[in-house]
Amino acid sequence: MSRSSRAVVTLPKTAKRGEVFSIRAIVQHEMESGFRHTEQGVRVPRDIIREFVCTYNGKEVFKADLHPGVGSNPLFIFYAKADQSGTLEFKWTGDNDYLTIVKQAITVL
Amino acid sequence: MNQRRVFITSLTALTLSPWQSTSATPSDAMQAMKAIVGNRPVNTGRIYFELPPLVENGNLVAIKFSVQSPMTQNDYVKAIHIIAEANPLPNVVSCYFTPLSGKAEASTRIRLADSQKVWALAQMSDGSFWRTSVDTVVTLSACTEMI
Repeated sequence: MSRSSRAVVTLPKTAKRGEVFSIRAIVQHEMESGFRHTEQGVRVPRDIIREFVCTYNGKEVFKADLHPGVGSNPLFIFYAKADQSGTLEFKWTGDNDYLTIVKQAITVL
Repeated sequence: MNQRRVFITSLTALTLSPWQSTSATPSDAMQAMKAIVGNRPVNTGRIYFELPPLVENGNLVAIKFSVQSPMTQNDYVKAIHIIAEANPLPNVVSCYFTPLSGKAEASTRIRLADSQKVWALAQMSDGSFWRTSVDTVVTLSACTEMI
């Protein structure tokens, strides 16, 4: 059983061929760094998203390796070049079987 | 030695030894960069790195980085790594681009543990490396609070 959480991806519904459009992807996650302690002095175990990948019709567009230095609810704003109509897949994977996948369609005019 | 002492020592070592010297005692951040770069030379510049000079809350710091590049199959930016000198872990985030990205630019939000220098290190498809740094002052540190 993998854990998942809410993710919101914003990108245009349509784009002209060759156009570079921006994508905004945010996911709900604590990003517990593993460096914090409770008042009793017990270290809180690390629980973070490790990797974020965006693929466009199966081809990788953007990838990020996340470390504890990334803030909670990781947000990425990045770009992609419109090529063909199809789907963009956004995948977040992390500690404790974390997995969230979001798919969005885009029409290229 | 307590952590502060170690930090001060590493800072002193930093100012005394230039980057490409072979002398030992590089700080953790320099080691983290070395782990990515290996023995290849690193040029300065080319990266646009936006980080607020004064950060009120180190828990969420908006950053933006980009490199001017045609982003074609033969000439594109492979990766941009963000490395913070005074965080518990120097590696913060690594972003990988492809020619399909169209533009080597990304924004995200990071944590900063202390006032420090933050590096952006770019890896080009031709194998060259570029880096730039920004100094920032953090008034409220991330990671130290209890829960």
